[in-house]
Amino acid sequence: MLLTSVIIVLREVLEAALLVSILSALSVAHGVKRGWIGWALASGFLAAIGLSYSIDTVSNWFDGVGQEVSSASMQIAIYLFMAIFIFLIRAPARNGRHAGAVLPFVMALIVALAVAREGFEVLIYMFGFAGNLKQFLVVLVGSGIGASIGISTGVLIYYLLRSMPRNWSLFASLFLLVLVAAGLASQAALLLIQADWLPAQLPAWDSSSVIAEDSVTGQLLYALIGYEATPTAIQAGFYFGGAALITLIGAGAGFCCRQKRHAADEKSGT
Amino acid sequence: MISRQRLLGCFVVLVATSGIAMPVHAGKPEFEIEIRNHLFWPAEIVIPAHTKVKLLVTNNDPTPEEFESYELNREKVIMGQRTAVVFIGPLAPGEYPFFGEFHPKTAQGKLIVE
Repeated sequence: MLLTSVIIVLREVLEAALLVSILSALSVAHGVKRGWIGWALASGFLAAIGLSYSIDTVSNWFDGVGQEVSSASMQIAIYLFMAIFIFLIRAPARNGRHAGAVLPFVMALIVALAVAREGFEVLIYMFGFAGNLKQFLVVLVGSGIGASIGISTGVLIYYLLRSMPRNWSLFASLFLLVLVAAGLASQAALLLIQADWLPAQLPAWDSSSVIAEDSVTGQLLYALIGYEATPTAIQAGFYFGGAALITLIGAGAGFCCRQKRHAADEKSGT
Repeated sequence: MISRQRLLGCFVVLVATSGIAMPVHAGKPEFEIEIRNHLFWPAEIVIPAHTKVKLLVTNNDPTPEEFESYELNREKVIMGQRTAVVFIGPLAPGEYPFFGEFHPKTAQGKLIVE
């Protein structure tokens, strides 16, 4: 039970911690203070409590697939806010003041939504043992260990990103963010397939003999890049389409900004 | 006369609604499975190949459970004393293990597709 609780909590915390560390690294590199993290975590935690209390009602929505639909909606919302974030961080790279006001708000929304989504499952799991004090304590200790490992990994990734040369760090952070966003898009598709809102298909391929999903590597890759051993064509389409779209938004914003700057330079006669 | 008309109305509504509801159920075979004392009952279910099925998982325990399977790509929280709907397939013939994530040591099951 101790090991189970470590694994369950680690799996959920790792996803959120990764997102927080990448966003923090990017925001600090762009001169945004880290004050938003506290607010984001607190509101995400409150939302997770609210979700875990309303799960009974939510589950019954849409003929019993409310859980899938609401989770998928949250994933899509996180994806959209990440697209806005990437646009903001790429576009005003030269006058950081403009994005400075909106950036923390967008990042806080992303993190709060991610914490709510990952957190409510952990809370449901933990409260399931509330009736038995001995078991609850074991689960509490296990959850603490799992959360610590997850948070430490996040901190490690943050300092790894911060210790790189600036251009490398920006590239690595944006690259990781694109992969996380792609994973969110494919998870949303999977949930909608489970809800029977998107058509189900046979898996497009099976890579479980190379990296099994329940192996340590598989679990890490799942948290990092949304790895699935047996995705369907629709899911793979969401993954690669999601990655391509957010990359285009980032590249487009960067291009747009450069054009504007050129125009401004020409106007001022330099 | 009025009561007769009402009766007729009721009959029409009944036929109409059953007509709407029937094809939906006819399209997807339903299978049921229970969770009792953190165990799946039955632990093995046989479903037809290349067919989408509706799996109804009833959690008879007072504590929550999460139906999960890497092979089926499914994951769903089921609160205590509740029934959850999980759509599965179409699948190729084979064996697809599933488990209860909150009690993985005991809650183990297998879906046999043939």
